[in-house]
Amino acid sequence: MHHAHIDRFAYQDSPVHRLDSRVKFLSVVIFSAVVLSLPVSSFSILACYAVGPFSILVLGRIPLRFAFKQVLLVSPFILVLALSCPFYDRNPVDTAFGPFVWEISAGWLRCFSILGKFIVTMLALIGLVSTTRFADLLGGLDKLAVPRLLIIQLGFLYRYIFVLIDRAHHILRARAGRKLRNLGFATELKTASSMLGSLFVRSLDTAENINIAMQARGFDGEWHGVRKLQFRWGDGVFVIVSIVYMLGLYFYSKGV
Amino acid sequence: MHMANELLSVGVACGTVAIAAGGLALICRRASRVISSEKMALMGVMGAFVFAAQMINFQLPGMPGTSGHMVGAVLLAIILGPHAGAIVISSVVIVQCLIFQDGGLLALGCNIINIGLVPGYLGYFVYKSVTIGRFSNFRTYVAMMLASVIALEVGAVLVVIQAALSGVLLVPFSTFLVTMLGVSFMIGIVEGFATVAVLGYIQQVRPGMVGESLVGRVRLSRKAVLVTLGVFTIITAGGFSLLASNSPDALEWSYLERPDQPDFVPMVSNDNSTIAKADALQAKYSPLPDYSIRDAQPTKATGWTSFAGVIGAGLTMALVWLAGRIVRRREFAKA
Repeated sequence: MHHAHIDRFAYQDSPVHRLDSRVKFLSVVIFSAVVLSLPVSSFSILACYAVGPFSILVLGRIPLRFAFKQVLLVSPFILVLALSCPFYDRNPVDTAFGPFVWEISAGWLRCFSILGKFIVTMLALIGLVSTTRFADLLGGLDKLAVPRLLIIQLGFLYRYIFVLIDRAHHILRARAGRKLRNLGFATELKTASSMLGSLFVRSLDTAENINIAMQARGFDGEWHGVRKLQFRWGDGVFVIVSIVYMLGLYFYSKGV
Repeated sequence: MHMANELLSVGVACGTVAIAAGGLALICRRASRVISSEKMALMGVMGAFVFAAQMINFQLPGMPGTSGHMVGAVLLAIILGPHAGAIVISSVVIVQCLIFQDGGLLALGCNIINIGLVPGYLGYFVYKSVTIGRFSNFRTYVAMMLASVIALEVGAVLVVIQAALSGVLLVPFSTFLVTMLGVSFMIGIVEGFATVAVLGYIQQVRPGMVGESLVGRVRLSRKAVLVTLGVFTIITAGGFSLLASNSPDALEWSYLERPDQPDFVPMVSNDNSTIAKADALQAKYSPLPDYSIRDAQPTKATGWTSFAGVIGAGLTMALVWLAGRIVRRREFAKA
């Protein structure tokens, strides 16, 4: 069945796709930490920090509309938090942009700061996930000393999410085809529980079959990836560029 | 339910990532002795089952148009046992963060603790203590309801404590706490109903599965439970540091400043210029001075600087985009 995979762009090719996954993961983590520790009032510096993920997305040939749609999908909770700030902090502060100086409440400043940081860090994360195949990401995490059991668990989980989501779709469609009206909480719950239960039992059977198939092919608990991870000169260039970029912006923001 | 990066300060994020990583490493090491390679497929598929199960919704009573769905954390812990259950739920949270961007990367540690580790172990502990080996239907169902509600409530309290420790909250601590407790109580009730219903169905189809753990016989030792509760207590108690005052601490009070005695002369003065320069350097470049994020007071001069910054960033992005287009066209021409 055709799935709109979240990481469908990970199977393309571009300079960013060819980078080592460990380098990408660590740089996204450090970048997020640096952006989060910015003071509340510096929007220009936030815009400068936004250039990083933007470049990654452009060079990695990820459509920006897709990236912003993803950001919109996960924003509700943050929107509630950000929009509650103007109600609780009404200290007036002066803001200046270009030739304009005007007065705004500190709550609005905080609101926009939260939203700005959210968008920048989310774009970085989307850049990471859309340019890295999940198997490569797991291989990189394995080299970064994540426990082997967790890596294997994540690998299996990723493999079988879409299979089971297909089954859930079938079950949901069967219910939609047989349900004509709202039946009240008890009946709805019973129906949903039997759907869940049948999905669960089928998952158990699937797991048993998978296990037997793997044992028959000699699985002994080791997960072998196909692509070897190598640290190439392109990765070195990326590391140097990102360190210079982040340090440069950090000292620039302190100097201002 | 999943926290985003902005709810945390960098210090709290790093601390919780360390706690979550250490906890997961410990669990993996202990569990890998018990979990043979045969059970790995089962655990992976159970994680995928949680994803698929979250799509199956049902109408909520009294609220037309809204539907609830099962989260599945406590169900997994009860069926798979605490250690394997914790690993599976943590992997679900990690995939939700990485693939579906549900929750920020720096908040991953907090999310693993709030949604995976604490509810898993706490729910299992509550379930086991209520059933105490006697598996009558009613007792099992009560245990599951209680486990779901308590586990989700504790997770919500931890979210509030972590946000408050980061100093991000503008609303009063008690307001946020009461709101989160109320919301998670309702979610816990729904989750409890769903867990009870699913396990009742499974008991008809595959009886005997509910009474024992599937993945090895991993016994949760009393010491482990006490240690877990102790850690949770420390985290809760840390929340009381929010009531801490701004007065100088004991050491500073002894020699530096006493707000209640305005005539107090500091007992220590250091005229060494190197020390003064080091202090100035540290004050200028430290990211979180005095455990808060500092605010600059903007003036007209900074208005032009910020203007320059934004315009510069925009121009750079435009250049990058142009460069991307040119590179793409050249690669197409080559191929």
